[in-house]
Amino acid sequence: MTKKRRETVEGILYVLPSFILLMIFCLIPIVMSVYFSFTDYNVMKAPSICGFSNYQKMFQDAYFVASLKNTLIYVLVTVPLQTILSLVFAAFLAKKMSDMKTGGFLKSVMFIPVIASAVTAGTIWRIIYGADNGLLNSFLGIFHIPAVNWLGDTNTALISICIVAVWKNVGYFLVIYYAGIMGISREVYEASAVDGATSWQQFWKITFPMLKPITYLVVTLGIIWSFQVFDLSYLMTGGGPGKSTVTLVMSIYNAAFKQHRMGYACAQAMFLLIVVVVINAIEDKVFKEER
Amino acid sequence: MKTKSEKKWNLPSVLGLIIICLFAVLCIFPFIYMVVMSFTKSTTLAIHLNDVDFTDFSNFTYVFTKSGFLRSLLNSLIVVACACFFNCLIASMAAYGFEKKNFPGKEIVFRIYLITLMIPGQVTMIPVFIIMNKLNLLNTYFALIVLIINAFGVFLIRQFMSSVPDELLEAAKVDGCPEYRIFFRIVIPLIKPVLISLVVFTFVTAWNDFMWPLISTTDSNMYTLTVALSLLKTQYQTNYGLILAGATVSFIFPFILYAILQKQFVEGIALSGIKG
Repeated sequence: MTKKRRETVEGILYVLPSFILLMIFCLIPIVMSVYFSFTDYNVMKAPSICGFSNYQKMFQDAYFVASLKNTLIYVLVTVPLQTILSLVFAAFLAKKMSDMKTGGFLKSVMFIPVIASAVTAGTIWRIIYGADNGLLNSFLGIFHIPAVNWLGDTNTALISICIVAVWKNVGYFLVIYYAGIMGISREVYEASAVDGATSWQQFWKITFPMLKPITYLVVTLGIIWSFQVFDLSYLMTGGGPGKSTVTLVMSIYNAAFKQHRMGYACAQAMFLLIVVVVINAIEDKVFKEER
Repeated sequence: MKTKSEKKWNLPSVLGLIIICLFAVLCIFPFIYMVVMSFTKSTTLAIHLNDVDFTDFSNFTYVFTKSGFLRSLLNSLIVVACACFFNCLIASMAAYGFEKKNFPGKEIVFRIYLITLMIPGQVTMIPVFIIMNKLNLLNTYFALIVLIINAFGVFLIRQFMSSVPDELLEAAKVDGCPEYRIFFRIVIPLIKPVLISLVVFTFVTAWNDFMWPLISTTDSNMYTLTVALSLLKTQYQTNYGLILAGATVSFIFPFILYAILQKQFVEGIALSGIKG
């Protein structure tokens, strides 16, 4: 065997185990998912082709439409909030406390919600949000604010979940922003300080513009994650009250595993896939134009 | 060198510090509340601090003995350990193949790997469930472990693999070192730092995974910790001490790991965002 031939065989053998797994558990399932989305399939009987009817049904299904609306609200609330908070905190920590132990400590503390599972976080917050003497209501009671049934009221349930999501994500994006800010050369700040720039001006004229690529990443990632939210809603409200906290993925889950309408669920999953692909494509395009 | 003005603590920056400290307190407080409440017998939400008894582990013993939580903990540990091991092994093999070997179509295949990183797990989950169901693989460790392994590890390690000097591998080969020994004895030790990051990342992903275990396990003996925890609230309704004892158990493992490997932890998790 020649050396080149041998290397080819070795290379393929090294990649093969991972490629087989990718094939069976990712690539083939995607093709299946596309195919199922055009069929009627309930696992018991073989799938029968039904054209675009799943896709048509989707937008007439009140449950799916509600899930879409909730997911959009969820995205519009959590993404801006977590992006702004993490940027501001990171900028503050980097500027004022980068060489202080306290700064590192604060950063570590804010990262703790990130390592907890959504299930753990949801379990704790469901109890904190409790209507009768829950911690939050007891706290607000000190200021004579009347008790609110946070997770049991259609007006507040979704927002309450959004707040937990922001609480859980800020630490993550803070770490990414912090690394980005530390990557900006000190000299830029020093030169601008010599020219008499205030901290405020430095933030808007240096930090923020230079972090643009990171902001794209944080926003894109934030949107994609938010579109996939399931655990928090499932744990804290189970989609209720009514349909007020049903999310896109919960709608997929219910269609597939509660109603066993696999074809219909796959059509909804395709919708999710298209959303994610489009968001990624936009980020890619904007990112390239910027450079 | 820092200029003086940069470190000046004027009123706005003190206010900023207060806000940031309040947020930090908000981040940690729910976990403190969780631990404290897990030592109470209270079935109402009102906090009675005199109910708290840190020597009374009865909630924990009850959760472990009566609810099958111990089995779930064991399942989670098995799944996490295997997922970490196989993910590192399979991913570093593939990364080594992609970076250090040449074969036709290599870059196209790698491009496919990168594209799959973008695909939400929920899109492939339904067909995977159907495949597993047909093959009678639901309710197995295999099903729980295999879905944790994805292209991310390959992508992560490949970037690091370029720092492994080709000359070293060539020299070993000239000395007649067999290929598998080059990989295990030379490559693996050299990429150890990135493997630790991948272990941390895989640990958190597998430990916190919820939707797939929820779907793929119907036998209570196969539940992972997240599924068992989600069921506690239906099992024990308002026995908050008990539920939060379960939450404490599920949180303590990643937390200890975080306390030990803080730097790798933050890196490993932050890296997941930079993918693609």
